Amino acid sequence: MLDQAFDALKSYNWGTDIKPLNPIKDAVVAAHEDAAVRKDLETRLAAFLKSDGSRDAKDYCCRKLRVVGSAASVPTLAELLPEKDHSHMARYALERIPSEEAAKAMRDALSKLNGNLKIGAIASLGVRRDQASVAAIAALLADKEAAIAVAAATALGDIGGADAVKALAGAKPTDAGVKQAVIDAKLVCAEHLVKADKKSDAMAIYKSLAGADEPKHVRLAATRGMLACAGKKE
Amino acid sequence: MRSSSQPSRREFLKTAGASIAIPYIITSSALGDGDRPAASDRIVMGGIGIGNMGSGDQGAYLGRPDVQYVAVSDVRTSVRNGSKDKIDKHYKNNDCKAYNDFRELIGRSDIDAVHIATPDHWHAIMVIEACRNGKDVYCQKPESRTLREGPLMVAAARRYGRVVSGGSQRVLEDYKDIVNKCWSGELGPIKSINVNVGPLSQLCNLPAEPVSPDIDWEMWLGPAPWAPYNAARCSGNFSTSGGSWRSYIDYSGGGMTDWGAHHFGGATFAVDVRELQPTEVTYHNDKDKWITFTYPNGIKLTHNKPGAGNLAVEGTPGEKRAAKPVPTYKGHGGIYGDFIEAVKTREKPFRDIELAINTVTLSHLAIITYTLKRDLKWDSAKQEFPGDEEANRFLDRARREPWQL
Repeated sequence: MLDQAFDALKSYNWGTDIKPLNPIKDAVVAAHEDAAVRKDLETRLAAFLKSDGSRDAKDYCCRKLRVVGSAASVPTLAELLPEKDHSHMARYALERIPSEEAAKAMRDALSKLNGNLKIGAIASLGVRRDQASVAAIAALLADKEAAIAVAAATALGDIGGADAVKALAGAKPTDAGVKQAVIDAKLVCAEHLVKADKKSDAMAIYKSLAGADEPKHVRLAATRGMLACAGKKE
Repeated sequence: MRSSSQPSRREFLKTAGASIAIPYIITSSALGDGDRPAASDRIVMGGIGIGNMGSGDQGAYLGRPDVQYVAVSDVRTSVRNGSKDKIDKHYKNNDCKAYNDFRELIGRSDIDAVHIATPDHWHAIMVIEACRNGKDVYCQKPESRTLREGPLMVAAARRYGRVVSGGSQRVLEDYKDIVNKCWSGELGPIKSINVNVGPLSQLCNLPAEPVSPDIDWEMWLGPAPWAPYNAARCSGNFSTSGGSWRSYIDYSGGGMTDWGAHHFGGATFAVDVRELQPTEVTYHNDKDKWITFTYPNGIKLTHNKPGAGNLAVEGTPGEKRAAKPVPTYKGHGGIYGDFIEAVKTREKPFRDIELAINTVTLSHLAIITYTLKRDLKWDSAKQEFPGDEEANRFLDRARREPWQL
């Protein structure tokens, strides 16, 4: 059944019958209790990514590698990161594969990717809260492409921590969109600090955003944060 | 994109009379006529995703004298332009602006609040972006598409002090009898309630069709995986069996989220657990597959329990339970009026985003449980499946570039 399903994958495309692939779907779920089956599935799915199968079929493999993928399939997925038609679905798997190798693959790709594909990798590293990527992402806060700088700021907010806070504090954006993203990221970092009971560090961020030159809703956010740090209810 | 140095229209109108000797022409509309508040006291609104549900939402807000509706955004040209025409006709002017890109609408400093009724895969991005821009938000249900999105939406609302309301009017309006019985204490301490709803959405591999010239296809897809245009893939009708985006996993959780938002919302309201999330989900691998959510206070919420009706409650006959007043909408005009009242008073609306997310979390947990076909533990504080590496992979999905929460 599984062999037939992988055969069907070769001719699978938008508009063809999806039912012949169901044994793969079922095997992915059943593999939870069988490491050998899981390994075999991962190997076959990753191998298909190197074939000349359709985009839809490769997308299907990435969807399944999101569930059964491990460090073993990372090199194959990483090769897809620079490919416009496959970069997103490679991240679809990589972002959710918990191994450090998955994060490293996207981190290493940052310097090789451009435009939207670079933004995608930045975003995925942010979702993973990958501390090891802070330096690489922080360097992009001053990128000449505003959209990349916005993505970098947002990711640093997601990741949080002292290094991200320091990078955001040092950012001097002139673009309005980047400035807004940096402010939001600082506020998110402050929330991480409050949760970690580092209220004096959070208070410093909130105070820096409470000035009269900030938009009203930002001043409101800073004031709410300062009240939270002081242990007062609004 | 927006300039924080420019005064909003509201601020301008409030100060213009005092600071400018000869103001620009102030129309009777701006001063308010009859029962209509002056322009400076109206809530300035825009709508994003205004094809089906959004059109109904728009009608509700447009009909309110305390709302000034000024902008629409939709990726379908005909919908966008038709909506602008409708609004301009309503106000007898040509002032409504129409945008393909929602970010232009959200970036306007003169807009106080937006309503959102796009396909579900867009909700989190738009709600969070609206909060970042200081807007209050009414977002149609189901409010999120993944578990990770929910807490980020709540955090953005709280961070900026925004009023963010979810969108199910049925939670309060459809289940009054059972809600009143539970809250009056008539049924005694509640043991369980059942919800029947479905189906789950499916992977979509519809064939490619020529892209309609009416739609910005890349923008419709947004953060979802790329796929070729197909009219059924993006249809806004209410089918969960293949005829609309509500059928497909990249955009919706199917009936489980679409109607789940109503039924789970009503059930958790009835048994008073709407402020909680469950700690366990039990998968019953019987002839009929069904699940049980267990709440920290011991209340069980079953889904598709064989033989149990929708919102069937198991109480404790013979035992007393103190009656509690049933929460309801504020203001007038149903759930829409409740949102507008909250915008004015800065109180939480009836379907505050946190309560709405608690509801849709049940739908997401149910989908993951049925997908993995096994029991799950849920840590609501950490928003993760403790020690369950496989289930945690389902917390979120990578968004297609350049979209990011």
